[in-house]
Amino acid sequence: MASTSRTILICSGKGGVGKTTLTANLGIALARLGLRTVVLDADFGLRNLDLLLGLENRIVFTAQEVLAESCRLEQALVKHKQEPNLALLPAGNPRMLEWLKPEDMQTIAGMLEKQFDYVLIDCPAGIEDGFKNAVAAAKEAIVITTPEVSAVRDADRVIGLLNTHGVKPVQLVLNRVRPKMMASQEMLAVDDVTDILALPLLGLVLEDEQVIVSTNRGEPLTLNGSSSPAARAYGNVARRLQGDDVPLIDPSKEGRGLRAKVRRLMQKKIF
Amino acid sequence: MAADQNSGLLQRLVLPPIKQAHWKDTLPDQLQRLRPGSLNLISHHWQMRCRDLSSLIKLLQGEGFRIASFHTQEPLTAISAQALGLPVQLLESDPMASDATPSDDSGDQSSDTKPDCTTQLRLHRGTLRAGEQIETAGDLLVLGDVNPGANVAAAGDVMIWGRLRGIAHAGRDGDRAAKVVALQLRPLQLRIADQVARGPDDRPQPGLAEEARIDANEIVIEPANPRLRARMSVPATD
Ligand SMILES: Nc1ncnc2c1ncn2[C@@H]1O[C@H](COP(=O)(O)OP(=O)(O)OP(=O)(O)O)[C@@H](O)[C@H]1O
Ligand SMILES: [Mg+2]
Repeated sequence: MASTSRTILICSGKGGVGKTTLTANLGIALARLGLRTVVLDADFGLRNLDLLLGLENRIVFTAQEVLAESCRLEQALVKHKQEPNLALLPAGNPRMLEWLKPEDMQTIAGMLEKQFDYVLIDCPAGIEDGFKNAVAAAKEAIVITTPEVSAVRDADRVIGLLNTHGVKPVQLVLNRVRPKMMASQEMLAVDDVTDILALPLLGLVLEDEQVIVSTNRGEPLTLNGSSSPAARAYGNVARRLQGDDVPLIDPSKEGRGLRAKVRRLMQKKIF
Repeated sequence: MAADQNSGLLQRLVLPPIKQAHWKDTLPDQLQRLRPGSLNLISHHWQMRCRDLSSLIKLLQGEGFRIASFHTQEPLTAISAQALGLPVQLLESDPMASDATPSDDSGDQSSDTKPDCTTQLRLHRGTLRAGEQIETAGDLLVLGDVNPGANVAAAGDVMIWGRLRGIAHAGRDGDRAAKVVALQLRPLQLRIADQVARGPDDRPQPGLAEEARIDANEIVIEPANPRLRARMSVPATD
């Protein structure tokens, strides 16, 4: 099984667009599909993947001790309470940034790939050392962005870097979509984003208050079988990764107003 | 003089030198001397837009000919041909030959003539993403988009077989005859020589190539008009 292991970097360029939220929710969703999944926090500076998963208080060792060989990998892995198929490898001390090298990340990923079907790496924002370390360990990537010009620009930048590092395939998740704003053209449309980034769209996640609620609780939405739009979207991303042909939601159908719908239909015809 | 019926090799169709005759006039005669089937087409310095090319292809098809490979020395023509799905070879451009009669020496140009790009033309395949940039001392041909946040500059022309949404600078070293051509010209900023312009705000018309050039001290953007070709093909050299 280890030979089919998939190591996927979840990255964005711009900060705060939803990398950690996606990593946590996708981790749970994949685990619920019966896949052995580990999430690796590569954001050593501002680690919070443990927090989102509600595992903060169970961390004893981290990737740092594993690399220093002062503990075994099994000791550092934190198994999720309710979802035993999911484990977290916590980030070490922020000081790790000073000595961590791309090879170290490759070492860790290599160890994880032996035991897990999916290795999801939560990437730090930016394109500096933290990103470079994380990308070294990745085979494929999911780029997440919001429909904002600045986020799309940074995503484009990151995709260029992923290409030069030979990371393939690179797929796109569009987060915090607000159908009403899209319909009234106050927000970039889905087409505008995919047009520039030219990546296959792996998922479309609506703006959803439940995300924030669940974040604060340390219980990812996908954990409790929520049927909120974002929970469904994360679940669909997991199934698409597994090769299921799940249709994307159409934000225009989620929005209101006949005019917006007609306009959208016409735009589709033209392009 | 274009018909070359070397058995074994693909037959070749060489368009006449620009100054001698228009290919549209010579074509019927030339085709008479060829067997219907596949051929290599050598267009030398003819600058052809998609429209010209597709009418050429139709003419050929009507007589039972198919273009196996398309050879040109003009990047613009190469862009059009690429767009129409022809297998294109961009030939080394010989500045001396551009005004000479290309058919004279065409005899020893076989279909496997090195499709090397000129030292003056830099070819980039693929989309340029934010943060990426290319600079070149000659002309630049990008087969792909130039995204917002990407930057291209050339001492000569900038030609983009794709959408220009980043920043482009043609005539970087001051050549005011330089131009920027793209399938969609919606740059953040456009420069020709020392002139600077912001991109237009309106939505591009689909399917029309557009070009930007300096006209009376202003950068103008307009559909790349095939009827302007003749005029455009004699740029002032510095
Ligand atoms: N679909 C959504 N709907 C509503 N809020 C969301 C959604 N996705 C993310 N958020 C919120 O956006 C904020 C940032 O999310 P998150 O921490 O996942 O981003 P990040 O990309 O990991 O940030 P950083 O770059 O700082 O690591 C959080 O408060 C999260 O709850
Ligand atoms: Mg994060």
